[in-house]
Amino acid sequence: MSDRKSFQSPERLGKPLSMLCLFLAATAVSLSEPVSACAAAQKDGAKIYQASCAKCHGDQGQGTKKYARTLEGDLAVPELTDLIAKTMPEDSPGSLSREEAEAVARYIHDRFYSAVARERNRPARIELARLTVRQTRQVLADLVGTFRGTFKPPQERGLQAAYYSGRRMDRRALALERLDPQVDFDFGTAAPVAEKIEPHEFSIRWNGSVLATDTGEHEFVVRTEHACRLWVNDLKQPLIDAWVKSGNETEYRGSIYLLAGRCYPLRLEFSKSKQGVDDSQKQKEKPPSAPASIRLLWRKPGRVVEVIPQRHLVPAQGPEVFVCSTPFPPDDRSLGWERGTTVSKEWDDATTEAAIQTANYVADHLDELAGVRQVDRRPRPPSGDPAAISFDNKQPSAPNPERVQKLRDFARRFAERAFRRPLSSEWAALVDRQFEGEADPDLAVKRVVLLTLKSPRFWFREIGGENDGYDVAARLSFALWDSLPDAELLRAAGAGELHDPNHLRAQAERMIRDLRATAKLREFLLHWTRADHGLDVSKDPMRFPGFDAAVIADLRTSLELFLDDVLSSDKSDYRRFLLEERVWLNERLAKFYGLALPEGSSGFVPVPMDAEHRAGVLTHPYLMTSFAHAKESSPIHRGVFLARGILGVSLRPPAEAIAPLPADLHPTLTTRERVVLQTQPAQCMSCHGIINPLGFTLEHFDAVGRYRQEDNGKPVDASGSYRTRSGKLVEVRGARQLADFLVKSDEAHAAFIEQMFHHLIQQPVRAYGPETLAELQKSFAAGDFDIRRLAVEIAVRAAPRGHSELGKDKQGG
Amino acid sequence: MTQITSRREFIRTLGLGAASLPFILNLPSLGFANQTRRKQRLVIVFSPNGVVPMTFWPDEEGTEFTLKESLKPLEPFKNRMLILHGVCDKVRGDGDNHMRGIGCLLTGIELFPGNIQGGSHTPAGWASGISIDQEIKNFLQADPATRTRFGSLEFGVLVPERADTWTRMVYAGPNKPVSPIDDPYQMFRKLYGRTKDRAALASVLDEVQEDLKKVSQAVSAADRRLLEEHAGFVRQLEQELKADAEAKAGHALPELEPGIREENDNMPRISRMQMDLLVNSFVNDFARIATLQYTNSVGQAKMRWIGVNEGHHELSHEPFSNKEATDKLTRINRWFAEQIAYLAERLASTPEPGGEGTLLDNTLIVWTNELGEGNSHTLDNTPFVMVGNGLDFKMGRSLKLKRVPHNRLLMALAHGFGHRIERFGNPDYCGGGPLNLT
Repeated sequence: MSDRKSFQSPERLGKPLSMLCLFLAATAVSLSEPVSACAAAQKDGAKIYQASCAKCHGDQGQGTKKYARTLEGDLAVPELTDLIAKTMPEDSPGSLSREEAEAVARYIHDRFYSAVARERNRPARIELARLTVRQTRQVLADLVGTFRGTFKPPQERGLQAAYYSGRRMDRRALALERLDPQVDFDFGTAAPVAEKIEPHEFSIRWNGSVLATDTGEHEFVVRTEHACRLWVNDLKQPLIDAWVKSGNETEYRGSIYLLAGRCYPLRLEFSKSKQGVDDSQKQKEKPPSAPASIRLLWRKPGRVVEVIPQRHLVPAQGPEVFVCSTPFPPDDRSLGWERGTTVSKEWDDATTEAAIQTANYVADHLDELAGVRQVDRRPRPPSGDPAAISFDNKQPSAPNPERVQKLRDFARRFAERAFRRPLSSEWAALVDRQFEGEADPDLAVKRVVLLTLKSPRFWFREIGGENDGYDVAARLSFALWDSLPDAELLRAAGAGELHDPNHLRAQAERMIRDLRATAKLREFLLHWTRADHGLDVSKDPMRFPGFDAAVIADLRTSLELFLDDVLSSDKSDYRRFLLEERVWLNERLAKFYGLALPEGSSGFVPVPMDAEHRAGVLTHPYLMTSFAHAKESSPIHRGVFLARGILGVSLRPPAEAIAPLPADLHPTLTTRERVVLQTQPAQCMSCHGIINPLGFTLEHFDAVGRYRQEDNGKPVDASGSYRTRSGKLVEVRGARQLADFLVKSDEAHAAFIEQMFHHLIQQPVRAYGPETLAELQKSFAAGDFDIRRLAVEIAVRAAPRGHSELGKDKQGG
Repeated sequence: MTQITSRREFIRTLGLGAASLPFILNLPSLGFANQTRRKQRLVIVFSPNGVVPMTFWPDEEGTEFTLKESLKPLEPFKNRMLILHGVCDKVRGDGDNHMRGIGCLLTGIELFPGNIQGGSHTPAGWASGISIDQEIKNFLQADPATRTRFGSLEFGVLVPERADTWTRMVYAGPNKPVSPIDDPYQMFRKLYGRTKDRAALASVLDEVQEDLKKVSQAVSAADRRLLEEHAGFVRQLEQELKADAEAKAGHALPELEPGIREENDNMPRISRMQMDLLVNSFVNDFARIATLQYTNSVGQAKMRWIGVNEGHHELSHEPFSNKEATDKLTRINRWFAEQIAYLAERLASTPEPGGEGTLLDNTLIVWTNELGEGNSHTLDNTPFVMVGNGLDFKMGRSLKLKRVPHNRLLMALAHGFGHRIERFGNPDYCGGGPLNLT
């Protein structure tokens, strides 16, 4: 009974998955290559068309001398079928059977008749594009960041810790310095450094940075019975200030928006002592020691609270990062990748807000950014002793005479960096004009920032450019970083080096090692594995006890660690994504999957898990869980992932949304048998004929990714097949055989390359010439399937090419 | 008995249906003089370290009284003043008297145990309850008729940059201290930043459009469409900004003297800037409640501009037998009285926007302190000096009360706004209900 209910009210369990066809519809509006193998019926349509229609309408519906009108319109297939059946062919109307008419209708509709088909057939070109939302945030961070110097984080992970005896954190009281992998301590009533620190009164400071791998609101949590404060990014204003311990609270929270692929300065202070007046001298004996613990945790966007793992902590500090947190409408993803080829009122309003947010940030940090010597404006007491406050602060209020000049220089450089090329004399004059006759130079800077950040030269790529070295530099840095060229790249652009392919490649190879490139590739891999959908993967708790939010979050981490491991390895070999036999597990996951971790390990470690059956992302338990219903596996979701994501097959969305057959209506059937039953009608099989045999190969993995021999009491049948585009039928059984096929499949390579190209360049790969994809494929194979090398290859191929009609138009008029 | 405050409400009370409304509303006999409820306001001003009783409190009780040296600057407002002697902060518990003095002043409830050690007593944390200004603010914000953009504004003057029990007076709830804004420029940004930002934006939009035109020439016809669409949005933005500016034409922005640093000797200037902003925010109806906190409990201002070179707190420890110290402390409190007088004068000379009379007719200023006296650290006879006619209290009086818990006064403030709470803070000190001051 409860089964049925879960399907009737999809919000209860597995919401986005229980209506499987909604999922298909949402992701399938595709304008790329029309269905190939899907269209057995279409082949007949094509044959009939070429035999009976092409002589008047032309082989592509382009028309002929006899009948010049192109064959295009907006009738749907049924109406078109009617029309054809009644009126065509002209010399003998009604001679086609209903089925034949429908086959022709479907064929021409898909090939050239419909608006979608026409759009698809339009020659691809590099379009003018604005910054995507992701690029906007990255660019603004770097634009402000260039005035603060660069930070190269060390390889080491953890935080610098300093332990002090007593309440004052000064050198004399320093008892111990060390690297703490993470902050997760329970000292009990003892001292952390037994011989040097009294247990009743001590303090600790942790310094370093936190490395974010997600973009969005991050919630930081500190748990302690004592006083604490935490700074993140802004080291002046604490994110959490519980330096006054008050009442029984032991948990403190604060949220901050962070961008992926960047390090943010972090400082945590802990004090097991009283603040305010120091009366320790008055006390005759030492007070008893209260229990003390401290933990530094966070919740990444959409995840659960966890102790911040060592891999996210860096024992060095870089400059503060400007984070633009203005909400933007999402970018167009109708082609399957984000691109900035549309504008809207909402988007324009968001650009205004972002410009204002940035201008205010610059105004608030102006002296620092412009390199003006700063004076501390505020009296600061050396300690919490209220009697020690001094108002004797007689610093001169006179303005720095050089300051205005420095602000002018800053304003020019700001515009120059924002536009990714040397400032034109017109713009330099425009910047200067903001200062003339303006009594308040700070306001002039603010105006320049607003002017710059509302300018089309900032928001649109390559506009006002001349397809010179600076345009090439910007294309390269947007491809690999989604951000501005750095100083070195601008230098190379200025020196004219970037027209030399060797120099260009050398720059790309330098840039691919940057954290921002890693972040961008990582995001691509999450997209490639369809892990960026944010699907609800919760399961029926009765069926899968213990499969809770924490396990799901750990599984996600497990996938990310796997992708990161491949990405950051020397060879960054694509084939490992398909062949890896190990799964990254922590204690909680090991427990859930009934495995033991190696002795002495902590955190996540890669362990063999049903090694003879696992095959990288194909069987990763997070993805197996994602592509499954609340109780049962979903061969259809898995098949769609394999067909579309891994093999690059285009699939049409189903004609209507169909809920899967509830398992309890067919108590004797396996999942495979139910899917076969439900998709047997001919109109389903045109696509499910591809989807199902792929998805069935993963049937050894249940809805939470566990390996199984039986489904519903019957042995699992994991046999499946795939017909390649060259027409060869490949039969496989189980995930390993599937992986062995895929790892050598040209189609899978091409799909991976094409998706990466779109993710990096945000322009259709076809616009770069028909040979581009094939050549990339060749070099991918020749380069041992190194994904970083592939990214470099894509970037250097795309960088010299600007939006295509720029030159033509100029010549034309 | 509820008051009927509007014509519409009156008609509703009569039980007439909507159909008869247009007819009845046109009857001249039902035209109420005051269509909207008057905008009641409250300003609580804090100064630290107690007062010198001999030079502060009037000797007389009743309507005939003489202002002594400390309160002399308030002479022009004598008939709009209410001076309350005999109000005592009876809250005890953790924390020293300075800490409880400020932390329980507006909350009327104990401090939580904590890690802040004072000069004596046990350590303490934050107050365990909401402060009366926030309580009244929440009451006003809950009603669309009295809701304002900010509800309340928390001003400060030279509040040290550290958050502890001595520096916080306002609490949004237990363990929720609210930091006063003691930088006038920061307060300006909070009040008018958006307006300024949009003005700056408007000033550059012409250039943006010019530039757009130029770059559109250089792209292909197919790509120009995108830029034209974009240009349309920029034009739309310009029109919005223009409409904005026209709507705001009546509201002049206050001018702040630029570059005033937050340092001791600028205290008089910062004080005026903050009060000017406060009055302006009332004119624009940004808030109905404000607090203004001078330094902090144990504040150490050195009032060199009135010839006092010692720190305030240090001086306040001197016995009253020390003539020189007592004289200086009197001058210090007189300086604070001058600030209250300036504020009252600004309010009295500003007409009530859209109403009758002046802002002071609808505003009550309450000037208070964390201690009765600085040397004994007593919380008895905590000063409460009120100016203005915001709450229908009977003004022009000096009252000598009999050791009344200050919770009852806090309740009276709420009742003055029609917020009829039966207890506030620690209920032990609420017996007898709100002080009757009407």
